[in-house]
Amino acid sequence: MAEVFNWQLNRMMQYPYEESRPIRQAAAIFDTNKCIGCQTCTLACKTCWTSGNGQEYMLWNNVETKPWGSYPLAWDVRELELLGPQHWDGDTYGGKTIFEAAPQGERNIAWKPTDMDYSYPNRGEDEVNVTLTSKRYHLKLPHDMWFFYLPRVCNHCTYAACLQGCPRQSIYKRPEDGIVLLDQERCRGYRVCFEACPYKKVFYNHTTRVSEKCVFCFPAVEQGIQPRCMRNCIGKIRSFGFLSRPGEEREDNPIDFLVHIRKVGKPLYPQFGLEPNVYYIPPIHVDSNAFLTMLFGPGCLDSIEAYKKAMNGEDNELLAVLLLAVSTDQIIHRFQLKGQTVEAWNEKGDKVVSMPLKVPTVERTPYDPDLNVYRYNIT
Amino acid sequence: MVASSSAISRRTMIGGAVAGAGSLALAGCATDENDATGLHMFRVGRTPDDPNADVWGLAQPFEIDLGPQDMALPMRLDPAVTTVRVRALHDGTTMGFLMEWTDEDTNDLSVRVDEYRDACAVMIAEGTPGDAARTMGGADLPVNLLHWKADWQRDVDQGRQGLDAAYPNRAVDVYPPLFDVAPADVDIDAYVEHGATNWLPGVHAGNPISVGSRTSPVEKLVAFGFSTTTHLPTQNAGGAGMRTSTGWKVCLTRPLAAVDERELSVLPGASFTSAFTVWSGGGRDVGSRKAPSRTVHVVTVAP
Repeated sequence: MAEVFNWQLNRMMQYPYEESRPIRQAAAIFDTNKCIGCQTCTLACKTCWTSGNGQEYMLWNNVETKPWGSYPLAWDVRELELLGPQHWDGDTYGGKTIFEAAPQGERNIAWKPTDMDYSYPNRGEDEVNVTLTSKRYHLKLPHDMWFFYLPRVCNHCTYAACLQGCPRQSIYKRPEDGIVLLDQERCRGYRVCFEACPYKKVFYNHTTRVSEKCVFCFPAVEQGIQPRCMRNCIGKIRSFGFLSRPGEEREDNPIDFLVHIRKVGKPLYPQFGLEPNVYYIPPIHVDSNAFLTMLFGPGCLDSIEAYKKAMNGEDNELLAVLLLAVSTDQIIHRFQLKGQTVEAWNEKGDKVVSMPLKVPTVERTPYDPDLNVYRYNIT
Repeated sequence: MVASSSAISRRTMIGGAVAGAGSLALAGCATDENDATGLHMFRVGRTPDDPNADVWGLAQPFEIDLGPQDMALPMRLDPAVTTVRVRALHDGTTMGFLMEWTDEDTNDLSVRVDEYRDACAVMIAEGTPGDAARTMGGADLPVNLLHWKADWQRDVDQGRQGLDAAYPNRAVDVYPPLFDVAPADVDIDAYVEHGATNWLPGVHAGNPISVGSRTSPVEKLVAFGFSTTTHLPTQNAGGAGMRTSTGWKVCLTRPLAAVDERELSVLPGASFTSAFTVWSGGGRDVGSRKAPSRTVHVVTVAP
């Protein structure tokens, strides 16, 4: 085992391979506060990549409802159960990762799903955190009840468990963008990767009998275009771009800004130790800090406060970057806030976005004397 | 030892050349009977592809202890199968192995995510036991494998096993772009006929695991160490497996002469190093999770 640095854990950890970061890491940030669970991302991916025979229950992108939803069934609960109780010492993870907790003869702890675990993609959808049968709930703020949507794709982890688990080294991480790919010619369907990935984002194709996973739409990314699930997001919750190596962050890079500068983007289950590269802005309405910390790590509460400040008009720069989400099909490499307008450029230096922080609106009186009607939509 | 003939310059010859050079320590241990360290490959009139053929009775069986796979991760520390009975034959052009072991469950599908097949393999290597054979070869010491798979056997016997085998009551609206094919009729062949194999990545990439039709349940492979097992271009291995009342009875055959680069030729009258492995699908054995023979064996080939 090599000693590698995991910045999300703020410590060194054990991993089978030496630390070897890509030149830049393809990464995404999902704003859970804006996700409406419409599954457009799921369909965008499904219709593009996994509509074939043998891929019926293969969802490279899925949206599950937390706290009860999961796909495959209870994937995170079972992985956490295997890992056992762990702890954070402030911002430093004091527990064991899935690699460090590996039993004898294995590379990592691994929950091994069965066929039935893939049979309920919508399990727990729209279910709230408490039972609705014990008392009457009336509308009030803040909510007694809560749930939120958690969209999930492969995290293209820096320390991918699937990659290190494959006995045939059929999985590799591209040095140019950090996208993790599975070699369809070399895989022999051992399924060690799908066991090893704690996020369960490697899938088995029943027909070809080999495994497959999200490719982050690399053919598009190579042309400067965002993945399909990102650019089809009608809730505009998804920011996609490239994360710089630790210590090389740029303030004008939207992804660096959200993850490293304002630190509103938080990894999902960082305690697993994979350094996942899909980040989440935690939901602001969940009243269980323990639950949020379990999902997003100890920095999630500060993230929520920073996000609230942006929404309250106290941090226009953060608001500007959040507004860039799904504002263009092209991958944004640089942004700048000029007054009340945010502008963004692609890798070639072409300006691809110029938009106001506040969309101009016109307000009219409810009564229209010309038509002698009253209108409810006055803006 | 590499033969000098340009036609087989990249193939390796086990036997005469090696024994002649005196570099194979156990080349002289040829014996008519199996002993504690080696087994004998008997010569017969014709090597059968049928595990029930009477001619197998001419070969003396050899009981081989199987043990844990504790050299490469992930390991299998508590093997489900602990003994395999092996017989070996050749007819001057084709060699064959008969492997029999006890396995209560039949696992001959790998369609569902948690279905793992039963399987067995013979490793053929040059050199002496203790060389790279225990590590499945090395950079300069390739080993060949004959790998029988129960799911491939069922493919051969009943046709390619697809969704029907696991999900007979499934309902699917349509499989793009095969809009003119009833979903229930969609299989690998349908994608091939419509030139749409890019909807089946494994098939499109030419992965031998994913091919639509098979003629043999035995795959011929080469390896240069752990993690390197690779499908050989020429697949001329044969054989068959069948269930017995207590387990599996499998024969694996291939020509003595090598065809592909890095393939090993076996010559009558010589000897080579071998190892045997069994996978128990019921125990989720796959890949390196297996029960290999505890020691490497020398096979002496009858002249």
